[in-house]
Amino acid sequence: MEFNWSRVLEVLQTSKATLDVKLLLMQHLKLVGISLAIAVIIALPVGIMLTRPGFKRFLPRVMGILNISQGIPSLAVVAIFLPLAGIGTFPSIMALTLYALLPIARNAIAGIEAIDPNIIESARGMGMPASMVLWKIELPLALPVIMSGIQTAAVVTVGTATIADLIGGGGLGRLIFTGLSFFEPELIFLGSALAAVIAIVIDQLLNLANRLLTTPKSE
Amino acid sequence: MDVIQYFIKQSDRIFTYTLNHASLIMIGILCSLVLWISVGIAVRNNSKSANAVLGVGSFIMSVPSISLYGILMVIPGLGLSRTSAVIGLVLYSMLPIVRNVYMALNGIDPSIIEAARGMGMKKRDILWKVQLPIALPIIFAGVRVALVMMVGTATLAVYIGEQNLGRLLTHGIERTHSEMIITGAVMVSAIAVLVDYLMGYLQRKLVSPGIRSGADKSASGKVRYNGI
Repeated sequence: MEFNWSRVLEVLQTSKATLDVKLLLMQHLKLVGISLAIAVIIALPVGIMLTRPGFKRFLPRVMGILNISQGIPSLAVVAIFLPLAGIGTFPSIMALTLYALLPIARNAIAGIEAIDPNIIESARGMGMPASMVLWKIELPLALPVIMSGIQTAAVVTVGTATIADLIGGGGLGRLIFTGLSFFEPELIFLGSALAAVIAIVIDQLLNLANRLLTTPKSE
Repeated sequence: MDVIQYFIKQSDRIFTYTLNHASLIMIGILCSLVLWISVGIAVRNNSKSANAVLGVGSFIMSVPSISLYGILMVIPGLGLSRTSAVIGLVLYSMLPIVRNVYMALNGIDPSIIEAARGMGMKKRDILWKVQLPIALPIIFAGVRVALVMMVGTATLAVYIGEQNLGRLLTHGIERTHSEMIITGAVMVSAIAVLVDYLMGYLQRKLVSPGIRSGADKSASGKVRYNGI
């Protein structure tokens, strides 16, 4: 395959409906943003709920399932949504959300579970109600772990979103897969490089957010 | 039921794909073990170069795997070949293995090493007889994460010419062939879970009982996981 830099620029400047780089980039960011937001909204409360006394007995089993499910490849998750939900943006978002749920829930549980019970005990001893213990003690202490879960989920989602083009999700994966089908290395390179840049930028941004949000001592 | 029928009808092909999958992962993990464990050992006393290496590792980790393969196949001389597939797998296992080797070797209580030195052990003996055996559980946890990840990443290597279980998924999507997709997804996921389980079993068998602590648990939780 011949690689031609001028072709890269050419693709960047054309705005054919199928290969408009700006449009695909926005589509990609939209896929990642929506599915990540839904995943956080579902996974955090569920994760926190599972650490409450009433549900604690399910915890080892849930953690076992979450640990095992981390091994399931993203291509398998995306592929399985084709027979389940068809093609398009909606099935893609469903697959991405499901895949992003796991690390977020896992880290939320692990972060809260890792807190020294003595700290919670002393907070309770000071007369704090359970909700206050959660908001003022447990969540701030677990925040670094929770954030790293979201970070992992974000990076994974950017990568999985490229694959989601296989079930019609659009996004940068379209450049990659079009390039693979037509043997145009320039398209592959462009899609891959942009996806990689997005992943790295989001990773660094969340790193920064983590550093700003975390109180210095709770490391 | 159609899935089972499909599986029986195509069992020859599925068997070949599984073998290809396994052999690719074998080659990948062997190369990674040799390369990344030596890199980890090489940088163990030099935090500056260790940070540089780990930085590169986490950089690679955040590159989506299909992108990495896309970039690798553009490089002249690699192209569509098993070499590119193996290089991709090896690059992805850099972070979990190097990080765990480095962390494990540096996490050892210095007084143990002092005692070994006091007994007159040479530097190399200390490494092989004291440090590595103690570090083994954490190193093993890193290899386990890398290996499980490889099972998933290998499915995407079909785009650069591999013929493994990923084919059932990608071809199934292209043909909207539900049975094919479900067979592929179940096979790949089952292999990933099985590999994870086997590595856990091996870990319990290999590590000497004296140092079998909570170390393996904490280490596997720390490694940043990117299951693409």
